[in-house]
This record gives sequence, C-alpha cells and structure tokens, in this order.
Amino acid sequence: MFRVMLFTQWKWSRLIILFGTIAAFALPIISLQGAASADRSPLEAQDLLRTVQSWGTLYPVLAAALGLFVAMAAWAPDHRGRHVHALTLPLPRWRYVLLRCAGGALLLAIPAAAVFAGALLATATATLPPGLQSYPFALATHFILATAVAYGVFFAVSAATPRTAGIILAAVGALIAVQVVAGVANVNFDIVSPLTLIVLGPAGPFAIFTGRWMLVDV
Amino acid sequence: MCKTAGLLALLGAMAGGRLASQATELQRLRARVDSLSREWTRAGAIADLADSLERQRAFSGRDTIAVGSLRIVTDPSPLPVRAAAERAWPVLDSLYGDAAQLLAQHPYVIRAFDPDTNAPRPAVYVGLVVPWDMSAATLARLLVANAPMPPPDQALVSWLSGTLRPATRAAQDRTDVYLDLVTAPSTPARACYLGGLRDCRAALGLQSDGDALDLWYPSAAERRALVDRAFTDYFDHGASALTLHACKAGADTACEALLRRLPAGSLPSPLGAQARTTLVRVAMEMGGRDAYRRLVADPRAPMADRVASTANATLDEVIARWRRAILASRPPSVALPWWAVSLALGWAAAFGVCALRSSRWRLG
Repeated sequence: MFRVMLFTQWKWSRLIILFGTIAAFALPIISLQGAASADRSPLEAQDLLRTVQSWGTLYPVLAAALGLFVAMAAWAPDHRGRHVHALTLPLPRWRYVLLRCAGGALLLAIPAAAVFAGALLATATATLPPGLQSYPFALATHFILATAVAYGVFFAVSAATPRTAGIILAAVGALIAVQVVAGVANVNFDIVSPLTLIVLGPAGPFAIFTGRWMLVDV
Repeated sequence: MCKTAGLLALLGAMAGGRLASQATELQRLRARVDSLSREWTRAGAIADLADSLERQRAFSGRDTIAVGSLRIVTDPSPLPVRAAAERAWPVLDSLYGDAAQLLAQHPYVIRAFDPDTNAPRPAVYVGLVVPWDMSAATLARLLVANAPMPPPDQALVSWLSGTLRPATRAAQDRTDVYLDLVTAPSTPARACYLGGLRDCRAALGLQSDGDALDLWYPSAAERRALVDRAFTDYFDHGASALTLHACKAGADTACEALLRRLPAGSLPSPLGAQARTTLVRVAMEMGGRDAYRRLVADPRAPMADRVASTANATLDEVIARWRRAILASRPPSVALPWWAVSLALGWAAAFGVCALRSSRWRLG
C-alpha cells in the first residue's frame, strides 16, 4: 500500500522534488564560489564568510518552500476528488494520513540528501583559509529539520478542512490587523513582538529556521 | 637696451610693491592671531572659573558615601548608591589594584531625579544624573564604566584608543578578538593565529622598529584591500582620486603612495583596540595588584616594555598567554545542540499528530 501511495505522490510532486533537489545541491556550491580558485587569497576570510552568510539565508527559504509545496501536493488530488477515493479504501483515516505523511517525508529526503552532497562537494573542492572550518553535516541536519517542521505544519494545514485553514489564516490576519490599528491609533500595545518571540524563540516551533546557516564558519 | 632696463625697473617696482603689500598682510594676520590667542586664554580662564563654581555647587550640601576607596557625593534619595558601590568596588579594585586608592581623591557626583515627574530638571554639568528608581546592578555598571580614575598618559590612551576600564563582557571581547584574528586581512594577524609570537607582536602594534605599513600589510593584495575597504571615501576626491583608481586597478605603488599619505597614526593596525585591551588585561592579571601602577609608571617607555613590566614577565610570555586565552574563546560552532534537534523533531511530530486528528472524514 505504501509503495503505491509513494509512487502516486512521486508523480504529483516530482517536479517540485526535481527543482528542489537541483537548488539544494547547487546552493552550497554557489555559496562557496571562488573559494576553490587558486588565486584566492587566504586573507579574504571575511569576504568568504560574508558570501557564505548571504547565501545562507536561502536555505531556510528553500526548506520552507519544499515543505509547503510537497505538503500541498500530497493533499491536492484528494481535495479535488473530495476524498471519495480515500473513503473507498479499506483503511482508517489515521493510517491513510500516516502513509501520505510518510510518503512526502521520504520524498523530501532527496533534496535533503542533495544539500549534504552539495555541501560535501563544495567543501572538498574549496581551499579554506586557516581558522575557517566547514560544517556540511551540521548544515544538512539543520536543513532536514527545517524541512521536516515546515512539512509538518503545512501537511497539518493541508490535511484540515478549508474551514480550519481559513480560521488559522483569519486568526493570523486579525492579529496583524489589531497591531496595525493599534499603531495607527498610537496605542502602546504590542502583540506581534511577544508572539514572534514565542514562535521564533529558542523553544518555539519555528526556532529551527533561525540561527546561523553557515557551511563555512570559524 | 633702454627698453630692457625700463622693463626690469618696471618689474622691480611691481615686485617691490607686492612684497610690501605681503608684509602688511602678514602683520595684519599676525595681529589677528595674537588677538585670537588672547581671547582664547580669556575664554579658558572663564571656563575654568565656571567649572570650579559648578564643582563647588555639585559637592556642597550633599551626603558622601564611602565604600573601599570609592567616594560618592549624592543627594538623599531612594537610589541604592551604597549597594551599587559595594558591587562596583571589588570590580574596580581587581582591575586597578593598589592604584584604586586614587579613587578616594576623585569622588563621583551622582544626582538622582524623580522619574515620575515632568518638571524641568536644573541643568547639571558635573557628575551623573540618574533616575532614583535605577537598580543597584545598573548603577554599579554605571559606576564601573565611569570610574573617575585620573586619565593615563596620552601614549597609552592613543595605543588603546581610549582609557582602560574594567571589562563588563570579557568573554565576548575575547571572542570578538578571535574573530578578528581569523578574519583580519593581514599577514601578521593570520601568522599570529597560526602561532607566530613575533607576528602577534607586530599585529598588536608592539613592534619596536621597522615601518608600520611594511610590517602590518606586507603584500600588495593587503594594501589594496585596505585602501578599498577603509579609505575609498577618504581618497576619492581631488588629486588623490586618480591614484585611488590606479590602486584599485592593481597598481601597488599607487596603493602604497596613498597609504603613506595618511596622517601619522591613522594607519589601522591589523588587530584593533579590543585586541590590545585584552592583551593589557592579561598582563594585569599576570602582574598582580601593582600591575596598573607599573603600566602607567613610565609614559615614555615603549609600549612593549610597558606591557611586559605590567605583567612582570617577558613580552613573549604575555603574548603567548593572551593568544591561548583568545584561541580558547572560539565562538560556539554552528552545529545544532542536541536539545534543538530534539525540539525540532518534537514540533514536526506534534504538527503531524495535528494532521492525524484533523476533522476531515468525521461524518455526521
């Protein structure tokens, strides 16, 4: 059963996985561009770190995008068919959801592996100045976890009814609207900052998207 | 012949007239400088008088709190001055050692104001003005940062780019220096990182001889990078602009010429003031209670000798210890700690469970 579901999910999301894998493989290599060249001076460590840091902002974006699109692709055909096919299967819902979730997660392992392979290749061919070290494994772990969290969130939202998704979106929109109105009315009321702290703080669900996404660091 | 003589006479008359007018202009300017100098002396005397009166006003009719050698003149208020002084004194005493006794002769003046009123406060020109609800910890930090120690000699101030204060974030300072050491675009800094004590000496500006430019930025790439990063705006106008463009195009002689045009002491050393301050702190730790006094004892001695005498050790010993301390302060690696990995997995699983428990398919 899992193989069949995995195959159907692959058919639905293969383009996303393909582009995601190419991007995931290329990103570490591009971020170390020039570090491999023979004429690069070891004195340019600061420039190298700055470049790596700039490109590093794209890893969480890619992880979030992959999580979103693969989660949406996992449920889109079910939504279109109003879940009739799923209801005809001799499976309890929790098992069906679990199989869908596992299928998407397995597909996401491909771009995650591509980040690791790209990072390994990039660091193996680069000449790093003394004092700088490469962290391909740490970067790949960071990417895998961020993709897993993004996939989990969007999978849960996609699995829910449009009403639930609407409620979540409306709640977020209402918070932003309240904050904007409070700002316009010059009322000393800040709700977004504490919420941001909760969501992105060290124990928050999206904390994994923060931090330093550095393939090379001191 | 007559024509030539006439022409010469005419030129002589013109030159004589111009010289005479120049002499008059010189006299006028000299008189103006003298007058400005008199005005400046008079203004200085008035400012001194105002300062003296202001100090008298600041010290009169107030309480004096003494903790160790700290003397704090303040007006009665709920401000926790004594508690703050009790926190600040050990910090100051540990840095300045026996020299901290000098603080007894230079009291702090603290004026507390009511933070809950909008009434205008009288202008104060001497001491610190703080709200009386300030915590003892914050006030202690303020006392430490504004310790009224007599300023050291200009050579030390210039070498450290400021006065020596107790460290409020010593570990972070060392980490910042580690980053400088690893990323500074300078050969001596990199060689210092790799273990060359002689290079550390050069990178810290403790070299006794040699040309600073050649020592600090020995290669053409370094000189070009320095001009490019730090002095593009400075040189990008007037007669320097052409040389700057030549330097950026790769002409090392142009880069060198530009850097040699900088005013004395303006060439940035590979490791900045923070590195030098951490070195002096290491020397003072090695030197014991009398270290600060030895540091400021001989303003005319070379800085390398002063640092060594502060530590009561050789300069190489001080630098080796400083280097070990800096290398031990490497910033934490980018690898995720185990708890962050567990948390992320936990959140992913929690969201997955939300999907399992979705209301879809719940019939009836």
